[in-house]
Parts: sequence; C-alpha cells; structure tokens
Amino acid sequence: MAVTYMDMPAIDTRMLDRELKKGSAELIILSIIEPGARHGYEISKLIETRSAGQLKFHVASLYPLLYRLEERGWLQGKWVEKAGQRRRRFYSLTATGRRVLARQRDTWKSFVNAMDLITGVDHA
Amino acid sequence: MPEWGEDLRSRLAQLRLSPAREAEIIEELSQHLDQRYDELREGGASDTEARRLAIEELLEPGALAYFMRSLRQANVPTPVAVGAPRRFPVFDLWQDLRYAVRTLRKQPSFTAAAVLTLALGIGVNSAIFGLVDTILLRPLPLPDPDRLVMVWERTSTSLRGIVSPRNLIEWNRRNRTFEMIAGFRPNVGAMVMGNSDGTAENVPRQWVTAGIFDTLGVRAIAGRTFLPSDDADRANVVVLSEGFWRARFNADPKVIGRNVRLDGEQWTVVGVVPNEALLLGQTSIWALMPIQGGRGSLVLTIGRLKPGVTIEAANADMAAVAQGLAREFPNTNAGRGVTIAPLRDVAIGSDLRQTSMLFLGVVGFVLLICCANVANLLLARATVRKRELAIRSALGADRRRVIRQLLTESLVLAVIGGALGLALGAGILHIAPSVIPQGLLPTGLALTFDAQVIAFCAVTALLVGLLFGLIPAWQATQFSSADVIAPGSRTVTGRGGRIRYVLVAGQVATAVVLLFGAGLLLRTLLAIESVDRGYRAESALTMIVDPGAGHPNEAALRQFYEAAAQEIMALPGVRGVAWATTLPLGRSYQGSSFFEIVGDPPLAESQRPAADYQIVSPAYFTAVDLPIVTGRGFDEHDVAGKVQVCMVNEAFVRRYLQGRSPIGVKVAIRRTPSAQSPSVVREIVGVARQVKGRPNEAEDLIQIYVPLAQDTPGDIFMIVRPASGRAEALAPAVRAAMARVDKQQLVSVRDPMTLDDVVWAATARHRFRAVLVMAFAGLALLLAMVGLFGVLTYSVQQRVRDFGVRRALGATAGDVLWLVARSATGVMAAGTVLGLALAAVLGRLLATMLFGVQPSDPATFAFVAVVLALTVAVSTIGPAWRATRIDPAVTLRQE
Repeated sequence: MAVTYMDMPAIDTRMLDRELKKGSAELIILSIIEPGARHGYEISKLIETRSAGQLKFHVASLYPLLYRLEERGWLQGKWVEKAGQRRRRFYSLTATGRRVLARQRDTWKSFVNAMDLITGVDHA
Repeated sequence: MPEWGEDLRSRLAQLRLSPAREAEIIEELSQHLDQRYDELREGGASDTEARRLAIEELLEPGALAYFMRSLRQANVPTPVAVGAPRRFPVFDLWQDLRYAVRTLRKQPSFTAAAVLTLALGIGVNSAIFGLVDTILLRPLPLPDPDRLVMVWERTSTSLRGIVSPRNLIEWNRRNRTFEMIAGFRPNVGAMVMGNSDGTAENVPRQWVTAGIFDTLGVRAIAGRTFLPSDDADRANVVVLSEGFWRARFNADPKVIGRNVRLDGEQWTVVGVVPNEALLLGQTSIWALMPIQGGRGSLVLTIGRLKPGVTIEAANADMAAVAQGLAREFPNTNAGRGVTIAPLRDVAIGSDLRQTSMLFLGVVGFVLLICCANVANLLLARATVRKRELAIRSALGADRRRVIRQLLTESLVLAVIGGALGLALGAGILHIAPSVIPQGLLPTGLALTFDAQVIAFCAVTALLVGLLFGLIPAWQATQFSSADVIAPGSRTVTGRGGRIRYVLVAGQVATAVVLLFGAGLLLRTLLAIESVDRGYRAESALTMIVDPGAGHPNEAALRQFYEAAAQEIMALPGVRGVAWATTLPLGRSYQGSSFFEIVGDPPLAESQRPAADYQIVSPAYFTAVDLPIVTGRGFDEHDVAGKVQVCMVNEAFVRRYLQGRSPIGVKVAIRRTPSAQSPSVVREIVGVARQVKGRPNEAEDLIQIYVPLAQDTPGDIFMIVRPASGRAEALAPAVRAAMARVDKQQLVSVRDPMTLDDVVWAATARHRFRAVLVMAFAGLALLLAMVGLFGVLTYSVQQRVRDFGVRRALGATAGDVLWLVARSATGVMAAGTVLGLALAAVLGRLLATMLFGVQPSDPATFAFVAVVLALTVAVSTIGPAWRATRIDPAVTLRQE
C-alpha cells in the first residue's frame, strides 16, 4: 500500500522510507511529548510548527503510531475531562518511554555527527 | 460540525476491535478532525472544502486499517456472548456444537433416554432398509443382470411349463435375441458321496446343462465351468459351490481334477463357482446333464439376452421360433408357445416384496413414534430451560439463533442415536439370516451392511434430528424474555403442553395402527395353525430317501423299499413305516397330473383338471392316521400287473363326481394335459379324508393316491410312526437300519423332520411376519406408554399449585384423580379414534397376507381398544397417584 507516515515536501520520499525504518518517527513523537502530556492534535501541530512546516503527520498515520507506542509501554494515553469541555485523550511518556527516548536521542546524535563528518556538510 | 463517526467506523470495521476500543478511537479521531475542520474554516475555507481537506487526513480508505492491523488491540476474538449472532457462521456452528455437547453431558439421563429411543428407531429402520435394499433396490449380483430372463414353455394349461431338452437345443439354435439359453433342475435331491473311510454323505445337487454358468455370467473361482465338449463327451463332471468347497475341502485347489464317488460312480471335479450361482437354488454341487441328442429330463431355463434386446423383442422372436417348431414337430410342439419374465422378478416373488414393504412401513411408524417421544422429552426440557433461553435472548441472541442452537442439540442427539442405530442395524442384519425362515430370501442373495445402508442411516438421522427438533425449538422461543426472567415467574404448560398432548395422541394413533396390523396377522397365524390338517397322527418322523443309481428299475426299487420298511419296522418303538411322495403341508415330489373321468364327455386339453399325484404305500393311511371315509385303502393285492387302482380325496368326489358313488369309477391319468401324453386308467377303490396341501389354501387340494407297487418312484418320503414318545428320537436308529439295507452306500437319506416340523416350516412365513410386526407393535405401544407417562408426570408437576389450591378449596382426592385421568383419557380417545380410522384404511393393504380374518375384523378392533385402555390405565396410575398425594398446606406455604 502506497501510504506515507509523513509529508515531507522538501525531503526525498525514498529517503523518508529509510528514515522510518530507523525509527525517526518514534523519536519525533517521544521528543514532542517529553515535556508534558499532549493530545493527538497538539502533537501533530507541534511537529508541523517545530519542523517549520517540513514535516506533517496525517491522522491515519499519527494515531496508529501513538497506539503502537502505547502498546509497547513507551507512552500512556489517558482521558482527561475538563469542566465545560469534551474529554480528550492525553499522551505522556512512561519511565520506559523516557529511557528509550534518551537512548534513541544518543543514537540519533551519533548518527547525525557521523553523517556530518562523512558528508562534510558543515565544511562545504 | 460534520459527523465523522460513520466514515471512521467503516474504515475501522475490518480490524475487529473490541466495541469499547472502537468507540474510543472514533471519539479521539473525531476530535482531531473537528479541530482540523475549525482551523481550516478559520483560515477561510468553505464548509465543503474544509470537510474535504479534513477527511484527506485519513488518506485513502484502507490506510487507517493498514497502519493499525498489526496492533494487539486489533483482531480481538469476539467474546462468547451467549446466543449473540455472529458474522462467521462456522465459528457459530462450532460454538453451538460445543455448547450442545456440554449441555447434553450435564443431563445424562435425558440424553441417554433420547439417544436410546433414537438408536432403537434408526436401528430397526436401517436393518429393514438392508432387507429392502437387498430385495427391491439392488440388482441381482450377476453381470448385466437386466439381461437375464426365465424362459418357460407355454401350453394351453400352463403359462410357465418346464422345457424338454430337445426344445432347449432348438431354441438355442434358432433364436436371434439370446446370447444363450441354459437349463437347470432344482430340488432334485442329493447325491451320495462315498468317503474314503467307508462312510457315505448326502450332498445336495442340481442337474444343469453345460451353458448354465456362462448364461448367468458366473466365472469359476478355481478350475473351470462346464464346456460344450463335456456335453458332447457325456462326461461325468461336477462343479462345486464355493461354500461346499471351503467347508468340505478346506478350499483346497488340488480338488480340481480329482475324482469323487457320487451315487456309486466316479465324477470329476472340474471347478468351483462363487455363491452367486446359488440363485439357482440351494445346493453343494452342480452335475452336468448332457442334453445332446435330446437326452436328459425336463428343465427350467434361464436365458441371457443380447445387449440392447428388450423382453418384447425376445418374446416376438421366441414366438416365431415356437411356431416353427410346432410346424416341424406337431406331435410334440403343437400349441406350445414361450413365456419370458425377468429373472429378478422370478427370484424375488411378490410375497417377499409385500413382506419387505410391510416391514418398511411398520418400522417407519416405529421411527415416527420414537421421534414423537424425543420431541416430547425436548419440549419438556425446553420448558425447564425457558429461563436460560430467555437470558440468552436478553443478551442479544435473536430467535433464529436460539432455534439454531436448539436444533444443533437435536442434531447431536440424532447423530449419536444414528451411530448407535447403525451398530444396532448391523447387529440385526448379522443375526437376521438365522432368524429369517428358510426359503423366504432367495438363495445367493446375502443381506449385507453396505454403504447404501450407512447412507440411509445418515440421512434418516439428519431428517429425524430436524423432525423432532423443529417443533420444540420453535415452541421454546415463543415467549417474552421479560416474563420468564421476572422473579417469581411461574412456568405454565400453555402451548407447549398442548403440543405434547398432540404428539402423544399421534403416538397412540400410530401404536393403534401397528397393533391392529399385528392383531390381524396374529389372527391369520392362529387360523393357519389351527387349520384342520386332515391327518391325526400326533407325531411321526419323516426323511427323504433317494435310493440312487443302485436300483435301476421299479422292481429293484420296490424290493429296496420293502426291505427297508421291514428292517425299520423291526426296530423297538416303531409302530408303522410308510412311503409317500407328498407330505401333508409339505413338499410334493410328483407334482400335479391331469385326469379325465372315463365315460364323461371328453374335455379340451386346456380344460383337463389337475390333481396332486401322490404315490403311497398301503401303510401310509394308518401311519399318519388318515381316515378312509369310503371304500378301502390299498393292500398287498394292489401290485403291478393287477388292476390299476387309485384312491381320491373328498374334494375330488365333491367337485368331479357330483353325487355319484366314487367306488368303481375309472379315471384316466396323464402326466401332461396333452392328448399325446400316455395315460393310465385307474379304478377308484376308496376315498380318503381331505388333507391340506398348504396351510392357507383358498381351495381344497384335489388329490389322487396311487399305490407304490403300481408306480414306484426314485425319490420318496419315508414316514416312521413311533409307538410312543418323540418321533425324532428314532432318527439315529432308522438311519442305522437304512445303512444295514444299503450295503453299497448308494442310498441318500436326508432331512429328518417330524410332521410337526413340516407344519412349522409351512407356517414359518406367516409366523415370522406376525411375530415381527407384533414385536414392533409392542415396541410402539411401550414407547407411546412412556410418552403418555412422561407428559402426565410433567403436567402434574406443573400443576402442583393448581391441585393444591383445589384441595384447599375442598376438592377430594377423587376429584384430582379424575382431573389427571380426564386428560389421559382425552388423549387416548383422540389417538384411538384417529388410529382406528387409519387402521381401517391401511388394513386393506394387508388383505393379501390375511387368512381366515377380514381386514376390518371387529374382534381385532375390540382387542386393540382393550389393550389401549389397559395401557392408558397403567401409564396414568403413577402420575394420578402423585396428584392425589399433593398436600395443600405444603403447596400453599411454598407460595
């Protein structure tokens, strides 16, 4: 099925596939909710704004990913009711999720450094 | 705000999420889409555009499911909601089956009662189907059996006459429609086989012409069958039956080519043929009867039609052949034609067909009663299970689903009952051959338990499962769940009760039909057994004696008979010894002869009357105690060379002498009605009392007795009357005496029977029919009784409160008793009236099997009514007694 997790207008789609395989989408989600619990719409908006519109998650891909991470025990969804508002489901990191995030972040950094060194982008 | 729920639900449908989880996801995603929509609207998008762009977030229709399919929350097995409809019928079926087995296991006594009832019904039906299958459905066990026909010679007096060897040869030579026609002579007694140890043994045999096995399509399983060259060489050759070969020679292939001593001559065994050949009649060996040159005796003939030839074509062809023969040989063939009939129709007579159809009908009724009983059990159980079923309905099971569950239970019962029934049927078919009277089933046809019987059993079980399951299942769902579940709700008999009464009335009606049929057959049997046999001897031993080849002429035979009689007469305990060619109610060796009263106007050939031609020794009349009503019996003066004499019986005098004195009347007797046939004129010297030829003969048998000394046959019955005691005890001494006279081991002595055994054998068919139908009727009655008992017991149980209140209000025990008895009497009366009406109609179908009783016999009607009344009384006592014992105080306290 030809569907994509993210729209990345400035990024090559084939590269996207590889990125997904490396788990970058997971890293993005975990990073977004690290500071505090957020609901799905917030998460998608934050991704969009923080990537300056470069990355955009669809409903059809964002929520399945959230559910998968929840099933893995990395994050936890909870319905929160506020007076006068509809209840919403907020996602926050679990202890496991935090550990995973730290590890993935380190890996990612090492990877990006390595890529920088090899491709010499900064020295171009 | 747009509504996203439906769209989302359809996108999630294939994931099989739990309903609660699905609702959560729809809520969450709807909120996301709402916010996106608001945002787009605020950005200036139109409603349609905002809606379209928001929906695009979901990508193509299958995307959401694609990304979620590997989640654990997807593919949740549907919880076992009791009775809820499901989208996967196979799972439902499996669930229904497991549930059914569990439920049935929890109620072992109910299950056992239902399964045993069904096993009984299906078992007897399978067994009788096995019989019907063998007799009516299956072709004869020979290659291309449809092409096999019996061919007879037709004369003016006989449609089905036996055929002379000369004509058989001519038929084969001249016809164009047959591959071959061959002859055989059944029931021609035995050959005496001399053993190496000096003892002699009787071996049943048949004479056959060389082509018989080729005509039948029977191939030898060892050696060969007869060849035309055997006929040309007049070879002394025999073929053994498979059974005899196995039993007597241990299936030794070396027996082929060996010589055996039969009737004092050497015969060569050329082959062994399988048991299918026994369709010709029960025998151990077939001896070749050479017919070349027109030798040999008259035979029955079987023909094999050429492929594609119809019986009509064969009839036309053979008619032309017969006409040609009549023209060329007018002396022997004038006025002779040919009759052809399928071998199958001849082998399986109408009596056998009718009997098997009768049995099939009877066991069909038994099965119906079994179904009604099980349906009743299920109905009672369904009422008890109302609460369970109501809860299932309340949990979301629709009516169809509940009916299906209940039907599954019925089918499980039917399948288990069917499997047990199959075993029972196999058992019955296994022992049937030893119970079925000899001669009822054609020899060579075996009752087998084959795939057809199994298929019948399977289909019956399924149909029966549906039949007895449908009404209870339908009835069980006729209630409102709320009423049933409500606390303190009381079960009432209501419609289920009425259906049960209707079912019991149906059972009673069926039992009445069967009882009536059984009653008629029983009365027939009694009439046949109490028929006046004519002779008075209480006990006499009979044996078939075949003096064999050692006595070449009548003088030698006479000498032998005299010597044997003297030797046996000398034995202690013997009161008389006689010889006869016919036994009362038994077989006749001589068959019929045609006669004319000398001096009466001559009769046309076709008008010549026939009489049973019976050769007897003078002692016959005293040996069986047969009174001579007029004139004298035979004596030592009635010998060859003297005046030819005869005796006749009462029916002869009544019918043919009409008031004339019989003594001195001369009768011309010939073996065939043809004028060419030589006649012997005999003078009547006495009249014997009437003797029965068959137990159920409609017309008195006409008999002519001829003295042994004036016409001495080769095969004859010996009759030994004991001075006292049991006749069969004389058999060993008589055999020993015969062996002393038969020094050359040439005489065949076989089939020792008492006269009572002969009568027993003659009535065996009627007894078999009556006993079997009576057994089934008894079974039906018992089942109907159990049905009535069950319904009454259940109804009393249901009405405990009712009876309690009545007792409290002053009703006596007698009043309560009457209440119960009234419902039982009502059911019984309705069932009996319906049953008797049916019996009056169905009784007519039995007419051909009845003797001495009318199909609408009032005594039998009365007998059935009495039996029914007793049955109802017995079934009612228990429940009624229980109803009277209800203590109003206890009942009302429980309220």
